[in-house]
Amino acid sequence: MATSLVRQTKLLSIVSSQLNPAACFRNIHCTAACLKNRAARIREGKGDKSVTYEQAYHPHHIGHRKGWLSQHTSNLQGEDGAAERVVEDVFIRRFMYGTFHGCLADEVVIKRRGNLLVICAVMIQKLLPSKFYFLIGYTEELLSHFYKCPVKIEMQTVEEKVVYKYL
Amino acid sequence: MKTFLTLTSFSPIQKLFSLSQESGRNAAKYFINTYPKYFQKDYAQPHIPCLMPETLEAQIEEASEAALIERIRMRKVKAAVDLYDQLLQAGTSVSLDVTNQLLDLICFCGDHDPTQENVPEQRNEETAKKGRASKASGLLKATWKENNNAGRIFALLSEPNTHSYSALIRGMVKYGAYSKAFSTYTDLLNNRLKADVHTFNALIIAAPEVKEKYNEKWELIVDLLKQMAEQKVKPNLLTLNAVLKALRRCGTLGKSQAFPVISEMKALSIDPSLASYNHLLAIFYKTGAPIQGQTDILQEVMNEVSGKSFTCLDTKDMEQAYRVHELLGVGENWRLLGNDFQQSIYYARFFSLLCMMENIDVMLKWYRDLVPSVYYPSSNVMRDLLQALDTDNRLDLIPQIWKDIKQLGHANRQNLVEELLTLMAREKHNQEVQESFAECALDIKKIYDTGDRGKVLLSWTAGSLIDLISVLLAAHRRQDAWEMLKLFKTHNRVPSEELLNKFLTCVKEAGEVNQAVELVQISAGFCLPETPKLIQRVQQEFELTDLRDLKPSSAHHLCSLLTACSSPLKQH
Repeated sequence: MATSLVRQTKLLSIVSSQLNPAACFRNIHCTAACLKNRAARIREGKGDKSVTYEQAYHPHHIGHRKGWLSQHTSNLQGEDGAAERVVEDVFIRRFMYGTFHGCLADEVVIKRRGNLLVICAVMIQKLLPSKFYFLIGYTEELLSHFYKCPVKIEMQTVEEKVVYKYL
Repeated sequence: MKTFLTLTSFSPIQKLFSLSQESGRNAAKYFINTYPKYFQKDYAQPHIPCLMPETLEAQIEEASEAALIERIRMRKVKAAVDLYDQLLQAGTSVSLDVTNQLLDLICFCGDHDPTQENVPEQRNEETAKKGRASKASGLLKATWKENNNAGRIFALLSEPNTHSYSALIRGMVKYGAYSKAFSTYTDLLNNRLKADVHTFNALIIAAPEVKEKYNEKWELIVDLLKQMAEQKVKPNLLTLNAVLKALRRCGTLGKSQAFPVISEMKALSIDPSLASYNHLLAIFYKTGAPIQGQTDILQEVMNEVSGKSFTCLDTKDMEQAYRVHELLGVGENWRLLGNDFQQSIYYARFFSLLCMMENIDVMLKWYRDLVPSVYYPSSNVMRDLLQALDTDNRLDLIPQIWKDIKQLGHANRQNLVEELLTLMAREKHNQEVQESFAECALDIKKIYDTGDRGKVLLSWTAGSLIDLISVLLAAHRRQDAWEMLKLFKTHNRVPSEELLNKFLTCVKEAGEVNQAVELVQISAGFCLPETPKLIQRVQQEFELTDLRDLKPSSAHHLCSLLTACSSPLKQH
């Protein structure tokens, strides 16, 4: 039994080397280019582009000068569901961007505490407060029914976008 | 900026916000129920049924009794009626029970599908005051139509029983067809059937509507109760409440009959509930109107009902007020405070009582407790508060109260602000108090100048200007006071004599001769009668050394003024 197995693997290696005669040890690279040195960075320009604190610092400053935009426990040892949380976060961010269109002053922060999903947003005072309350009620209800968990929105408003510097 | 919604707030802005949030939720619910396929995926373990889209479609399709029962359960009135007609035409007989259920449904819902109403906030404002509104069914817009489905189906029944009659009568009463209800009742009696307690309750509710005069109404009710006794139907709590509610419409007769009714019911071992007490109070008091006497009734009722609470606070008895307020804290009694409008009346009365009766420390303790978490005081209450501060000589608390006034949005009330200014300007206080007053005064000045987005909210009056300047002067803020003086001209108001005298004293202390001359000029500009006296004062009080600082233009003005004023003096 053991001898027949060894003979089979030998046969396999012979066959594969014959199929790729030259440079048969290189493989095909299938993923897209990651461009990790261009993600989430705003490059310096003429000095007229206003930039918030969040946008001004690059991703390698996370944990040093910036906090995290999405807080959950699925990245801990032994916890699962990290990928699902990422997909949910992306959906929530797009949803907030579209529902409160033009009102977001900065990125949305998403926190998960147990079952509860807390969405923290800073808004510009573009709409009347009653309209904000309408949209808050709508978003909370819709997202709770969508994700089958209680969703709360904690909102703060500022008069204008808070500029950190000009690039 | 985001204001927090408190449970018992009644300020109209808070109400608007909570209602808009509620309507946002309803918009979301509409989407969820219209497109349920996007919300079917169930992540939750264990399953959370309230977060799933509502299934509103009937399951059983074929025409059978079970399908009818299902539609009745789901409150689909039109579909149920159609199915019933289908079944009859197909020849299958429907049992009396199911028909009765169908009748119940139609009579309850008034022959149209119950619409997806917005569930209003717990403290929904009713437009009519209690007791003035025509019916409790002020929200229902439908009325009992002549040949509607209920009547038709009822006629189709071969042997209507008590339940069918009762459903029909209750529906008629609910939707306003009172006389028809009574005629149906006579039909019932003609068929030698007995009515049940629900029918009698409905008829008692309908009784005040059918008759005009008070005693006729009462006789009808007594008649109904006698018939109830004959047919050996036991009254229940709803009967008691119905009788009391009808008595509300009976005026003075109601007052005399109410207590005997309650004692009889007690004899039948029916305990009055919170609603009965509500009706009782409504019979004896009118909410919102001040009544002086009748304290003993309130006391009696309160003694009976330990642990329950009431809305009116018409007595001037502080102890009672405290007791009532304490009762409010027990259990669910805050619901009895009624809607927000009546709640505001309750708290306004409570506060005015407190201001009148108690000393200032107790008042302030209550104020801190209740404002702004439970109650937003109106401007009248703030004025009472200011007067109380005045009587107790605690005017140093005025700047704090001003902050509260601003926060509550009363800063645009002319008389409130003016009263505040008068109180501040009246007497002389010690230095720190004067400083705080001056800060407060400058704050008030800002409100007068430009309102929100350039709108002018308040207009200056002579009195308010004078008070403001005196406050500033008392705190030795001469520069600010000087700028304010110019406002007299721009707003066409005339300063008073004592203001100018005070100003002159202040200027003298600082030794500014030029300002003194300008002051006299202003006074002359207004042609005030005390201008000569002012000039005399300037002449006497300012010594030669000061006069050396006099600018040539001012000196010129001074001379011209002297000559102008000495001639009238000579005439006198």
